[in-house]
Amino acid sequence: MGHAPARRSSHMSREVDEQSSGFTRHGNNYYVANFSASESEVLVNLVEQIIELLGERTDNHSDDPLAAMVGITSHDSPPDDEVLLRLLPNAYADQVDASEFRRYTELTLRAKKSAHAMSMRIDLKSSPDGCIEVDHEGANAWLGAMNDIRLALGVRLKVQENSHEDLEILAPDDPMRGVYAVYSWLGWLQESLIQALMDDAL
Amino acid sequence: MPKVDEKIDEEIKELFSSDKPWITIVWDDPVNLMTYVTYVLMELFGFRKEKAHELMMQVHTQGKAVVSTGSREEMEHDVARLHEYGLWATLQRGDQAI
Repeated sequence: MGHAPARRSSHMSREVDEQSSGFTRHGNNYYVANFSASESEVLVNLVEQIIELLGERTDNHSDDPLAAMVGITSHDSPPDDEVLLRLLPNAYADQVDASEFRRYTELTLRAKKSAHAMSMRIDLKSSPDGCIEVDHEGANAWLGAMNDIRLALGVRLKVQENSHEDLEILAPDDPMRGVYAVYSWLGWLQESLIQALMDDAL
Repeated sequence: MPKVDEKIDEEIKELFSSDKPWITIVWDDPVNLMTYVTYVLMELFGFRKEKAHELMMQVHTQGKAVVSTGSREEMEHDVARLHEYGLWATLQRGDQAI
């Protein structure tokens, strides 16, 4: 499992004008964060990529509108794309069971993940000053969406094979360096929201 | 004919047997934060923080943990909710080797 970076990523500042202090709890049920314009822009950009990704592969169920209406897809094979496969994993080790489950549930899973991402996008888009305030449900949507973004970036960074130490020392001209900076920053941001929520639960 | 009957019998037995519950397994993943896994287990299953933390640590140190048991339908529901929040989960028969 991953550990959240203890501090904001040191090289995130090279990517964006970083100023957020993360999420803090306000009152009983509100979680607040302030983002700089460039931080908001990065977040909107990433969440829109997730929305786009989750919207793919919806073409071949349209042949049966009734099936689509009740959330059944005609495709039952796992996604070819590595990122999508991590976002929409198999529910069974057995391939036959996995396909059957996917056929009946993948559309719903995509819709739920998209709803998290869209909720995060709307919060950002409707706050030009970068001040985000979410309730418990909104916070869960942000957590789910931020996690999906991190899962997607994690696949691109090959977090499975590369240790965090490897990723920390990427060369300045390595294109993955910026990706890792954003990935770390998101981990830190996600952690701040979890801590704010956990305060409640104690 | 008796062969077919036997097969149907087996299938019916399987459908109604409660002694073979299904299980939901959460697998270790290098991206998901430890605190996030704990939080999701608390939110989805209503576990107390200690219980959720214990299960998370089992996933972290042993690579996997059984987080719920029940009927196949219930476990499919649990896996779908875990996938919604990005945890890596599968379900299988409880008497099957993990």
